Amino acid sequence: MSRTTTILVCCGTGCIANGAYDVADAIEEQIVAQGANAQVELRVCRTGCSGECEQGPIVRLMPRDTTYYKVKPKDAKAIVESLEGEPVKKLLYRDPDGVRHEAQAKNPFYGLQHKTVLANVGVIDPLSLDEYVAAGGYEGLKRALDMTPDQIITEVEKSGLRGKGGAGFPTGRKWRSAASYDVFPKYIVCNGDEGDPGAFMDGSIMEGCPHAVIEGMIIGALAIGAETGVLYIRDEYALARDHIQHAIDDAYEAGILGESIMGSGHKLDLSIVRGGGAFVCGESTALMNSIEGKVGEPRPKYIRSVQSGLFEKPTVLNNVESLASIPVILAHGGEAYAQVGTEGSKGTKVFAMVGKVKHTGLVEVPMGTTLRTLIYDIGGGIIGDRPFKAIQTGGPSGGCIPERLLDLPVDFDTLTEYGAMMGSGGMIVMDDRSCMVEVARYYIDFLCEESCGKCTPCREGLRQMRHILTEICEGRGREGDVELLEEIGAMMTDASLCALGRTAPNPVLTTIKFFREEYEAHIKGRCCPAGVCPELTSFRIDAPACTGCGLCAKACPTDAISGERKEAHVIDAAKCISCGSCREACNFDAVLTEGR
Amino acid sequence: MDKTYQITIDGKACTARHGEFLWDVAKRNGVHIPALCRSDRFEEHRACCRVCIVEVTVRGRTKVVTSCVYPVEGECQVVTDSPRIRQERKVLMALLAARAPESDVIRNMASFMGAGEGYGRLKPLDTGKCILCGLCVQACESMGTGAISTVNRGTEKEVNTPYGMASDACIGCLSCANVCPTGAIEYQQDEETRTIWNRTFPLARCSQCGQVMDTVDMAEFETCDECRKKAIADQLAQAYRFV
Amino acid sequence: MVSEEQINRIVQSYPAERRFALAAMQDMQHAFNYVPEQGLQALAAHLGCGVAQLYSMATFYKALSLKPKGRHIIKICNGTACHIRGSVNLATGLKRELGIDPGETTEDGDFSVEMVNCLGSCALAPVVLVDGTYHNKLKLEDVPGIVEHYRAQDAQEAREAAEQGGER
Repeated sequence: MSRTTTILVCCGTGCIANGAYDVADAIEEQIVAQGANAQVELRVCRTGCSGECEQGPIVRLMPRDTTYYKVKPKDAKAIVESLEGEPVKKLLYRDPDGVRHEAQAKNPFYGLQHKTVLANVGVIDPLSLDEYVAAGGYEGLKRALDMTPDQIITEVEKSGLRGKGGAGFPTGRKWRSAASYDVFPKYIVCNGDEGDPGAFMDGSIMEGCPHAVIEGMIIGALAIGAETGVLYIRDEYALARDHIQHAIDDAYEAGILGESIMGSGHKLDLSIVRGGGAFVCGESTALMNSIEGKVGEPRPKYIRSVQSGLFEKPTVLNNVESLASIPVILAHGGEAYAQVGTEGSKGTKVFAMVGKVKHTGLVEVPMGTTLRTLIYDIGGGIIGDRPFKAIQTGGPSGGCIPERLLDLPVDFDTLTEYGAMMGSGGMIVMDDRSCMVEVARYYIDFLCEESCGKCTPCREGLRQMRHILTEICEGRGREGDVELLEEIGAMMTDASLCALGRTAPNPVLTTIKFFREEYEAHIKGRCCPAGVCPELTSFRIDAPACTGCGLCAKACPTDAISGERKEAHVIDAAKCISCGSCREACNFDAVLTEGR
Repeated sequence: MDKTYQITIDGKACTARHGEFLWDVAKRNGVHIPALCRSDRFEEHRACCRVCIVEVTVRGRTKVVTSCVYPVEGECQVVTDSPRIRQERKVLMALLAARAPESDVIRNMASFMGAGEGYGRLKPLDTGKCILCGLCVQACESMGTGAISTVNRGTEKEVNTPYGMASDACIGCLSCANVCPTGAIEYQQDEETRTIWNRTFPLARCSQCGQVMDTVDMAEFETCDECRKKAIADQLAQAYRFV
Repeated sequence: MVSEEQINRIVQSYPAERRFALAAMQDMQHAFNYVPEQGLQALAAHLGCGVAQLYSMATFYKALSLKPKGRHIIKICNGTACHIRGSVNLATGLKRELGIDPGETTEDGDFSVEMVNCLGSCALAPVVLVDGTYHNKLKLEDVPGIVEHYRAQDAQEAREAAEQGGER
């Protein structure tokens, strides 16, 4: 009897950027070159993101569960040769003790995760409907077709699912509300306009398992009585859009979409709307305006979308990850889903953990996992074992969380109590070389461009915040600046038109709350403790620590560093532009910073 | 008959119809709530200046809402100038004063609300009176002309014609200039012509007394909505000639 | 090159409904590297709306531009992960190489530099995307090499084109 070995080549955006397509091609060539083995039926499967993007391209042999990291096309020969025999040692995971492991679960990055929404991402070919079905796909829909809308909604309510885009509104309640209106047509909309800088959860789900999103939308449409659905997908996500379109086409072909969903007589049409490239369109009413062919400004109305949304009809708008959770809930029951997580936040959450952490990538953990577990156990700690300073969660709407809050469980409610938020799942780890004032300015800069500019608090508040933060970063901070930032921020929180404006001051307010002394250092001490703000930082080389390796001089863009080999180097202050390239290059912590 | 509710505004008992906007209820009852981007000319309000914020308490929960678009849907207590509202309005006016440094209207309002001093740290724009309330765009659209719109987004937003050039769609009717709360839209007029948005229009005079009536373009524009839309489409089709 | 025929083809491929305005303009952007004025006029006529309404959208959405972009588009990711790993330095490096700031196009029309929001490859920060090709974990010192690579590629293509022209 023949056995099937599948060679999974991760083809998520990260791995493609690292050359995954070349690796897959090389492996396919090698299979042909080495000749088909009679006992082994080989198949190369280009999957969605398997998670640990930094270690990509990742190749996994199934069912023997051998995972290879940082694979290059020239490794293809050895990999194909290793199918039956010994694994290629140098490509395996190496634990901190230097021992190599084959199984993915031995790598704590994977071992500590709890994959539910991502269960099929990185395991199946996203372009294959058959593989999705073989992995249990569309079972949830089949069950839903035997249920009444009320029963479907009850199942979702039992699961405790809350909107994973960050707001955390109970999905079941939203659906029940939309179902209660006898106004037709109704719409179901998938918000795939993931715009938080540093977040790629939704993009990876759409790329890696597009059918799960579609199945979730079909079930939602059945529950509320919608016959039209729209996926609004971010302009930059070309691969996600391609995969979703492919999945939609396949679903029509298979009779899963269209006039009669799986022969049930229920109708649903799905189509994609390409985002225009505007962060504010992640806001639900701005997104609907954008679909209607208007400028993506939020609507000022005090009326909920479930009553009057897209084209002023009852509309349910869910985020990608929420929708991708629905098939699991319907297939295994709401109660099973609610087994995982905390009292108020059920199930799992996908995070994109990036920044100065050793293992970056996509992780899915039960709600309530602590930040410490995420950063140190799964993420492996800080690069270069530098001191941890802050983790930024929730993107421009979120906040910076300091070390002392790392043992808090991450869920919808806990972080909010402490003035931060979980947000949609972006997590950026920062070490002692990140300046919190500069980070605040970065987000405010981002929002100055991305605000729609309609209402005064957001537009003018951001403009003035940017001005004040720039003054502080460039060494012209004044006493009273921090208080003025707080005053403007408080007003924006109350008076802005939409959620973007109301949360826009968060990056500033949380950094003031948790890192006030750093603002003071900029303003009163004329010094940037992190050594980031050029106007407040000078660099010098610590002669005793310098080994004279010359890496700093090579990295310096202005040739400001000189010195003989194996002797201490010096920085010419007149030429130095305080870019920090030398400090990044130095392996001996010999580049020091101080105020000017 | 419409459902009505008993509500209080600054302690005063008022009756509100279901769905009626708070600002309108307040006005009917003699309570003035300051507002800049609201005009009786339009049914839809843009609710973007945010100056008309008030505190509303519904079933024991207090929140800040924008009174010009907040519909009354039950019993509630409204406070239009609580310390919190006064403080926030003050900051808003300080921001607007920095936004429109040449506007007397805004400067006076700001100083009346206590934002005259203490905000020297804010960076004012170099010139200008526009507070981006968008009433001009609304007025232009309501005329069926659609010659101006908001341009760009975020802190770069402004009101202009396409490409900042003279627009074929403009008829020089001054609707935009007349509705502007800060007099930010400038135009020049002499015996023969009127110039606005980079375009000069000949003026039509009364055949009897010679009094200036309107621009010639406006007189030609007197049509019903349907015909007007068709005319615009035709005009555009004409204008669309390839170079 | 912008052609009337191509504009018409794009405009006519959509029903005369306002909700297709963004998609039609995105098609023009794709076809011409910008949304030409003639395109806005043709679309306005087709949809029965004012040019101003479309102009408003074209200046609002980042995916659309009203000026032609360079032949090579260099997108510097300024997502948070890239930012804290030095994307701003990369912009400085590109300015030194090309003499332009983000948002500008070189005079010869060869390069446009853009600072863009998260490209979704945060694990490989900082990332620069040139014409759809990712350059990962870049350092300031890598910048001249990248620019040189595309210049050399252009020069090569120009030589080949000239040779082919010569043969003919």
